[in-house]
Amino acid sequence: MVSRLKARDKSAFEYLYDHYSGSLFGVVSRVIQKEEVAEEVLQDVFLKIWNKIDNYDPAKGKLFTWMLNLTRNLAIDKTRSKEIGKEGKTKGIDNFVNTIDRREFTEQGIDSIGVKDILTGLSEDQKFVVEHLYFKGYSQSELAEEFNIPLGTVKTRLRLAMKQLRSIVKVI
Amino acid sequence: MKTEEYISSGILEAYALGELSPTERAEVERNLVQYPELKQELLLIEEAQEKLLQKSAVQPKASVKENLFKKIDEKKPDGKVVSMPVGDSQISFWKYAAAASVAIALVTSYLAYNYYGKWRSTENNLNDLVAQNQQMARDYNTVNQRLDKIETDIKVIDNPAFSRVVMKGTQNAPDAMAYVYWNENSKEVYLSIQSMKTLAQENQYQLWAIVDGKPVDGGVFDANVAGLLKMKDLSGAAAFAVTIESRGGKATPSLETMQVIGNVVKG
Repeated sequence: MVSRLKARDKSAFEYLYDHYSGSLFGVVSRVIQKEEVAEEVLQDVFLKIWNKIDNYDPAKGKLFTWMLNLTRNLAIDKTRSKEIGKEGKTKGIDNFVNTIDRREFTEQGIDSIGVKDILTGLSEDQKFVVEHLYFKGYSQSELAEEFNIPLGTVKTRLRLAMKQLRSIVKVI
Repeated sequence: MKTEEYISSGILEAYALGELSPTERAEVERNLVQYPELKQELLLIEEAQEKLLQKSAVQPKASVKENLFKKIDEKKPDGKVVSMPVGDSQISFWKYAAAASVAIALVTSYLAYNYYGKWRSTENNLNDLVAQNQQMARDYNTVNQRLDKIETDIKVIDNPAFSRVVMKGTQNAPDAMAYVYWNENSKEVYLSIQSMKTLAQENQYQLWAIVDGKPVDGGVFDANVAGLLKMKDLSGAAAFAVTIESRGGKATPSLETMQVIGNVVKG
């Protein structure tokens, strides 16, 4: 698969898009409220995958992980460029995180129920960390700073959360 | 290296999330090669992460895919430059338009500069006023506290339940004088310094009440106090006196240092 992508095989790329665009858009569209902007970011993500596939090294992790990292970086960059200047970043993110919560987690129906099901197996602390890091566009250090949690604690909480998630996804 | 400790620090999760600095990443990548159990753990984390995001997937509209593939197809570089045919009348129109926009730009930048200056000076004035306001609030507080103190003092002096005992200077300090305000019922004792000299740092004045012929400690004080000074509650006093003691006071008075003394006048 990776070698076909590196050879710029378009059908391989299409397969990649069909399989992973949903997972990645799940992240982007929760971090970025405006649909058009979120779509634009998703497009940038896949263009980057297409252009930068040579940088991907399978020895360093799964292809999905690499794509996710690209996605988070682009999405977080976008929120920064949009929010800074209008008001303090903190407030900006808080505000639109709330709107995202309302939109995605209560109104959106079936697939967000899926997330909720997974996350209900976690403690409040763990849920908080997972939500902010994966769906609210926070980096670990921002999370630590803004909510006054030591960075080491953020890391170990995410560790416990991911461990818990493993057993949950096995069951589901 | 203890791989369990390394794993439990959460560094692999941070790695899978793409959170590490380039140096940290390089370190993790080195360790992954060296310790297969780390590689194994990372894989589990990555799988959990992938599953989590699969469960939370949101399908983008079909148009996003179309646009994406259009973009990729377009990328084949064939740079054609299309020149725009321009007529004479259009040129002169654009000339005027350019001149007009330059003029507008000049005027607006002048105005912007002008208003910026005004805004700056307004802001400075505002800062001055805020500072003055704060100073005034502080002064007001100080005055208010002094007024409160004076009011409570007056209540004591004015209260007929308090009797005033005048303590006059002894041979040690003929010019010294102080008053005691004493409420026999509530046992409250207040001291008012009229004239007492300042002592060395290691010494303090100590008030004594003579009760049944014996001195009872009434508390220590310094000379530089304005207004009434609340002392220890005392009952059955026949006289009050003040001695000089080392700072903090003593259990029994050094009578040879007595400064002032006065009898309670019953009446």
